[in-house]
Amino acid sequence: MVGKKMTPYLFLVPSFILVSLFIYYPLIQNIKYSFFEWNTFSAIQEFTGFDNYQKLFKDKVFYQSLKNNLLFAAISMLFQVGGGLVIAAILEDTVFKRFSAIFRTVYFIPVLISTSVIGLLFNFIYTPEGLLNQFLQSVGLESWATGWLGNGDTAIYAVIAMSQWQSIGYIMMLFIVAIQKIPPSLYEAALLDGASKVQVFLKITVPMVKETAVVASVVTLSGAFLVFNQVFILTNGGPGQASEVLGTQLYHSAFVNGDMGYASTIANIIFVITLILSILQMKLFKTEKE
Amino acid sequence: MKKSKLFSVMITLLMITFSIAGCSSTSNGTDKKDDQVELSFFHRFADGANKQFFDSAVKEFESQNPKVKIKVSSAINDDYKQKINVLLGSSNPPDIFFAWSGEYANKFVRSGKVLDLTKYTKAGTELGDQIFTSQFGPYTFERKVYGVPIVMDGKAFFYNKEIFKKLGVNEPKTWNEFMTVLKKIKQGGYTPIAFGNQSNWAVGHYLTTLNQRMVDPAVLKKDYNRSTGEFTDPSYVTALEKMIELEPYFTKEPNAVTDDSAINAFVNGKAAIYYNQFNQIPYIKPAKFDWGWFNFPAIEDGKGDPQELTGASQGFMVSAKTKNPDMAIKFLNFLTSKTIAEKMVKETGMVSSTIDAVNKNSADQKMMDVVETIKQASGMNVWLDTALDSKIVDVYLNGAQQMLNKEKTPEEVMKEVQKAAKEVKESSK
Repeated sequence: MVGKKMTPYLFLVPSFILVSLFIYYPLIQNIKYSFFEWNTFSAIQEFTGFDNYQKLFKDKVFYQSLKNNLLFAAISMLFQVGGGLVIAAILEDTVFKRFSAIFRTVYFIPVLISTSVIGLLFNFIYTPEGLLNQFLQSVGLESWATGWLGNGDTAIYAVIAMSQWQSIGYIMMLFIVAIQKIPPSLYEAALLDGASKVQVFLKITVPMVKETAVVASVVTLSGAFLVFNQVFILTNGGPGQASEVLGTQLYHSAFVNGDMGYASTIANIIFVITLILSILQMKLFKTEKE
Repeated sequence: MKKSKLFSVMITLLMITFSIAGCSSTSNGTDKKDDQVELSFFHRFADGANKQFFDSAVKEFESQNPKVKIKVSSAINDDYKQKINVLLGSSNPPDIFFAWSGEYANKFVRSGKVLDLTKYTKAGTELGDQIFTSQFGPYTFERKVYGVPIVMDGKAFFYNKEIFKKLGVNEPKTWNEFMTVLKKIKQGGYTPIAFGNQSNWAVGHYLTTLNQRMVDPAVLKKDYNRSTGEFTDPSYVTALEKMIELEPYFTKEPNAVTDDSAINAFVNGKAAIYYNQFNQIPYIKPAKFDWGWFNFPAIEDGKGDPQELTGASQGFMVSAKTKNPDMAIKFLNFLTSKTIAEKMVKETGMVSSTIDAVNKNSADQKMMDVVETIKQASGMNVWLDTALDSKIVDVYLNGAQQMLNKEKTPEEVMKEVQKAAKEVKESSK
């Protein structure tokens, strides 16, 4: 009898061991490391208490990174979640239905290409003699032309723009699936009542895909705080540190400056931010179900 | 019955868990046959002809020494810098690894990761006799040698002789002459200096030379030492101002341009001058015009020796943890022996630090001139990005990059460098 009671717990043991070994143990270790000053190849770890945190909150680069992450989050919300929804609704509209398969594929392809390939591609687009500046010249806007990745004012926006181009297709796909689940009878009824396309979108589509919108927002928001590879490939945080995000700042502290304690501190901050975001997500989901 | 089934399931799961957990500790790969020697070798020559040369040299060494197996891996510059940091911290560091000289190498030495090679490199040993003695300098710390130089390097302004002839200008000897030349080239419709600073080591190379030329040598020596560095001398600001004087003549928006495309602009004849390392001559060779080089012009009010050359040797270090130091030395001996060094010069165009390796058989006249230039220099000036502590480098080069974007003044850049130097100084006590 005792065995029967224990059974479910015993089944949980292996996964519990794996999860604690590979997720919780490093997490706790990382918190410990942030109180020390040490580098990868020195054996000595010097306890410095909250010094790393104090340094972080005085670090101008940290605020620059945080600002860039927030920019990333805000713009991604607008273009990926907002824009993705609009594109999905247009593609699922009866008028476009015939072509939607082609467009769906076209929008989705960037999601499938590896970021390093896309990074290289956009490097060519953004160089001073690149595609973008040539385009601006041909339409008479040469005064706007600049070295997009080398200009401190434009570098982060150039990276964010690439990210929108790359991921909008993914969010669009999520919305298309959600829209296809809406019962067609709702649309037919609205049509009979003489509702306009915009009204149908706002009154039927948007409320019906709300749950997907929450999921998409959470994915996009936490993605914006975890972003690393796109920035790393395009600008590596430069020029100066104008396009640094938390992820690249962590990387630079750890592997360029060899300041592992400081890097751990940044990692903890990123962890806290994403933790708050996921708690919010869980709260929002609960209210949805009620 | 039921109980035994449950028991067997449990055992299976536990075994899976343990076998996963055990993976890391059992497969160390050291318990090979006794007579087999395995050496790991990690270098930064990961592209094109360079990689081919090292791969074939390793194979040749292996066929000469059948008991030795060399595990080669490589990563290119920026990646290498980061990977080696992690590898040296691990319990299984590479036996032989590449290291830039100066502070870059010194930090590995300070943390006890590097084998003292003094007894293998003093006069009378194979290594000591076949390599230019001067090239050991940047690998010598507190009178002990820790590295085996394999290539020598220097930096000079490479110029397109046809453009110079067409515009009627000559190699400038002084800074003022240089400015006049640049102005004429710009009026002639060419980009005077090709400069790609998307990765900011490029501006670091300019600053290496400018600091050496402007700042009093004694002050420079004190500031480049991490435990005494202050960077308060006003000459550092003047050096940055010289950089600003050059700015109008650089490729437009250098921070948005990669070093590769700067070389291309020079090779395609769009730009007249490129500040180049001697080891990058192979990239210039495809050019369809005749080219030459001149040393960085003497600056009129500078306090440094204008005959000094920016550049340093690059080479290999041996891990302090290696189990086969003698075999590692044997391999380095082999790599720097005259025959293999000649082969390296011939195949890769790199300037070998082995005596007489660059000769009529292995190289053309220009390469031999390069060796003469290096030999004639009154001293070598190690790259700023490997001469200083990486925390100072980070601030210095990022600041210089922003200065070129007109987002910071030279004074502001130096103020931040001073702050970083102060932190490094305190942490080194």
